[in-house]
Amino acid sequence: MSAPAVPAGGRRRLPFSPWHLVLVPATVLLIFPFVWLLVTSVETPGEALHFPPILIPHHLDFGNYPQALRAAPFGRFFVNSAIVAVLTVLGNLVFCSMAGYAFARYRFLGGGLLFAVLMATLMVPFQVTMIPQYIITKWIGTNLAEPAGINHLGALIVPNAATAFGIFFLRQFFRTLPIEYEEAARVDGASRLKVLFRIVLPLSGPALSTLAALTFLDSWNNFLWPLIAITDNNKMTLPLGLATFQGAHSTEWTLLMAGNVMSLIPMMIIFFVAQRYFIRSVAATGLAGT
Amino acid sequence: MRKHVLRVTFASALVAFGLAACGSGTGGSGSGAGIQIWEGYTQVEAKAFAHLLAEWNARHPDEKVTSSFVNNDYSLPKLLTAVKGGSQPDIAYVYGSWAPNVAQIQQVVNLTRVVQQPGVNWDDFWTGERDVATVKGKVIGIPALVDNLAVVYNKTLFASAHLPLPTANWTWNDFVSDAQKLTNAASKQYGTAYVTPGDEDTVWHWEALLWEAGGQILNAANTKAAFDSPAGLQSLTTLQTMAVKDHSMYLDQSDSEYGNLFNSGKIGMLVTGPWDLATFPNVKYGVQVMPSFPGASGGHQTISGPDNWVVFNNGSARVAAAEKFLLWLTAAPQVKYFSLATGDLPIRASVENAPGFLTQMDKALPGVSAFVTNLSNVKQARPQLASYPKISTVLGTMVDSVLLGKSQPRAALDSAAQQVNQILASGSS
Amino acid sequence: MAVRSFALRTGRRPAAGRKYDAASRRARPRAREQAAAWAFVTPATVIIMLFGVAPIAWSAVLSFQRNNLFSASTPFIGLSNYRQMVHDPIIAQAIEHTIAYTALFVPGTMIVGLLLAVAMNRKIRFISVYRTAAYATMAVSTISEALVFLWLFDPSYGIVNYAFKLVGIPQQQFLNSTSEALFVVAIMTIWGWTGFAVVIYLAALQGIPQVLTEAAAIDGAGRWATFRRITLPLLSPASLFLVVWLTINALQLFDEVYLSTRGGPLGSTTVLVYYLYQQAFGGANFNFGYASAIAYFLFLILVLVTAVEFRIGRRLVHYRS
Repeated sequence: MSAPAVPAGGRRRLPFSPWHLVLVPATVLLIFPFVWLLVTSVETPGEALHFPPILIPHHLDFGNYPQALRAAPFGRFFVNSAIVAVLTVLGNLVFCSMAGYAFARYRFLGGGLLFAVLMATLMVPFQVTMIPQYIITKWIGTNLAEPAGINHLGALIVPNAATAFGIFFLRQFFRTLPIEYEEAARVDGASRLKVLFRIVLPLSGPALSTLAALTFLDSWNNFLWPLIAITDNNKMTLPLGLATFQGAHSTEWTLLMAGNVMSLIPMMIIFFVAQRYFIRSVAATGLAGT
Repeated sequence: MRKHVLRVTFASALVAFGLAACGSGTGGSGSGAGIQIWEGYTQVEAKAFAHLLAEWNARHPDEKVTSSFVNNDYSLPKLLTAVKGGSQPDIAYVYGSWAPNVAQIQQVVNLTRVVQQPGVNWDDFWTGERDVATVKGKVIGIPALVDNLAVVYNKTLFASAHLPLPTANWTWNDFVSDAQKLTNAASKQYGTAYVTPGDEDTVWHWEALLWEAGGQILNAANTKAAFDSPAGLQSLTTLQTMAVKDHSMYLDQSDSEYGNLFNSGKIGMLVTGPWDLATFPNVKYGVQVMPSFPGASGGHQTISGPDNWVVFNNGSARVAAAEKFLLWLTAAPQVKYFSLATGDLPIRASVENAPGFLTQMDKALPGVSAFVTNLSNVKQARPQLASYPKISTVLGTMVDSVLLGKSQPRAALDSAAQQVNQILASGSS
Repeated sequence: MAVRSFALRTGRRPAAGRKYDAASRRARPRAREQAAAWAFVTPATVIIMLFGVAPIAWSAVLSFQRNNLFSASTPFIGLSNYRQMVHDPIIAQAIEHTIAYTALFVPGTMIVGLLLAVAMNRKIRFISVYRTAAYATMAVSTISEALVFLWLFDPSYGIVNYAFKLVGIPQQQFLNSTSEALFVVAIMTIWGWTGFAVVIYLAALQGIPQVLTEAAAIDGAGRWATFRRITLPLLSPASLFLVVWLTINALQLFDEVYLSTRGGPLGSTTVLVYYLYQQAFGGANFNFGYASAIAYFLFLILVLVTAVEFRIGRRLVHYRS
């Protein structure tokens, strides 16, 4: 908005905030690979197959995008990824807030142990648990609910609908909230659920939107589990679709990068929208005031 | 306690994904009538394979084959998980180097009698392929792919260095000297390159040299290491000269940069396979057989890395359908079509010998005919042992340590031989 | 403001007429609270138990078997796999590499993330663009990240060596050097995770009421003192979260190693999870029992380290109450 006030010492005022001088180079470093991705996606294969990579191509080929879309049913993959990601995010927001809140505010018998056990699930690499998880998911599909079994989108949603990460993250966050609001509401006779949904969650905009963005990202980019769980070409997600550009011996870089860029766009949109909610509501500025 | 909000959320989520999951699956669970094949074909191979599939499905509507793409690098974890979970496919594309281990899977079908049937012409497949498809006398796969290593060189770079182009009877002395002359530190140009991730890619490039020098990897009974011989020393020293002494060899840790470097005109010669030719659109390249070691018995021998189609037992009806499909897929007319469409080497010798075939191949992919004729230089295969992957790790470390200048060939060979003997002595696994 | 309107809306008076003596106030809310707490955690717990805890328990069983992924027989061999680990020289190296990597990665990411978050925690023009750029680092796929860094750090053609040449630093071998490769991997992953740290710290910074920092400024505290005495302590919950989560991820590093160095050169970037993947699927052994044992060993390390971090956190972290 405006440059910061001139500090006592009389430094000369720049026409723009000096922070830009830090942020611009930092941003360049951060988005460099993304730039390379973008450039490769509009190069011809002749120029893409260069090392060191050519960053300023002589010929632009925007045809990579329609070609990538045609190479595999990307429309379908996109829809599948979207369904899985949205439902996973919803599940996490609901289930992890409830659990995170309980761990943050309530002392209950077995709570410590349960939290430790849940956290433990973050500490064993997926490469080792994927075979048992596959067998369990298959069993659920055969015996409980077919849409949640392997080779269905449910298999991608249900196992990730709540994670210890989300619970841990929200627990940490809820504990930073001033408890007075919640106590006052309880004194006024509100049920615990109401306290959570009417008082705490509205104050948790930054955390919820962060968790939503991160969960979305994780779900959107998830590769190994969908690879193993899905065999039907119709139910594949975007990362699996992008893998069709990677052959055993050679990769179609231009198409792969075009696919990657298209895959990134929804995520960037989600984040751009989510980060507006990072601005805390006025109520957080203190107990006083309306 | 009122869980109104929760109930609503949960219910709507359930409904949503229930609808979604049902709606997005049009009953394509695949196990209806028909069999499923897992493969990792991309680009031209994918198109050619899809064409063949469509042809089969049109002619055999009640024995339909559906394919599922799985990138070859990840196919093993996916396959093994599916096997453990009881959901294996009917046919899968399996790397040849996994054959001895894949053979141990209970559900893998023994194809020995199938390939002996009249009309299959098992001997029409190349020696290397048949060796890799056979484990302890049992045929567990039908060849899917064959390739070999030869030298691809940059004609333009040779011309600017005023060097004569490689001939069919060139030697490793020529190669080393050419590499040195093609190296130009100022313009960051290298005579040749070698991949050093330390896995089988590192190993098999060296094994070709070992065989050319007249050496063997293991003894005839596969009980002891045999590569710590004068032939092993000669092959390793040749590589060491280029990497460490002359600095004419670019070491590619990532196994993916050497191709682009060659295509950018930064490398003079590459020992590689036919799959890379399509990635050199900007280079005037030539292909020549690998050089030989003067006086050695190996000649211009090369190494091949065939892959297999493996059949899994999902019931006798499906096995029969799978076998029928595979025999059709690997019959001469289909092999010819696939090779010409993709530039992949023909898996049958009779197809290579068909008149006009080599010219047609060169039209599809310039220079590939040299790889086709080079198939006759494939005389043997790597040891078909379940413990070969472990041996490969030891050999990879050995080659890398010499190339990176960390050890001398003699010491590296001895140390590796000791480790390999231990592995062999303790049995496989 | 939410509270007041709620009370106004329902018009209810707190517990009027109910008899609250000390004992029943302790006893009844406790039981109610317990039930409520368990109800709250149940949905998430069920999912995580089924898909997280059960597979882990299953893997524990596998670690006591000789389980070759190819053969159907899986005999019980007791602690054999664990004993094999003790005698395996590569395990010691893998542990060393994993710990060295973690020691570089965790503080590195937190510091860079904090600095950038502080820089981005202001309303200047284009701030949304800068923040979105930070997120972009998380969104870029690992394979693109690996390729770019392979290029940047290429000994012959990379930009880093080129920059070194310009300022007179001798050319390095980077990923071809057994001593430098792990550093390069650390730098690559710090880059990849910076966005995450920025997002977490930004959310936390947004939660710090401006009245506090403004009050400190009015009281005459310098910017650095304000940062050290007010901001950092208020960020401590986020910092604890980051330390724990980054450690959990660092000790389980796999993807970047798989896509760039393949554990090389000469095993210098072989970390525990990469080694266990090689044991299970990487063509070394197909020994899934052994891989599970390694995973459990790693699990123990993780539990220990996390517990220590939480313990330290209890003393250093300030939660506003």
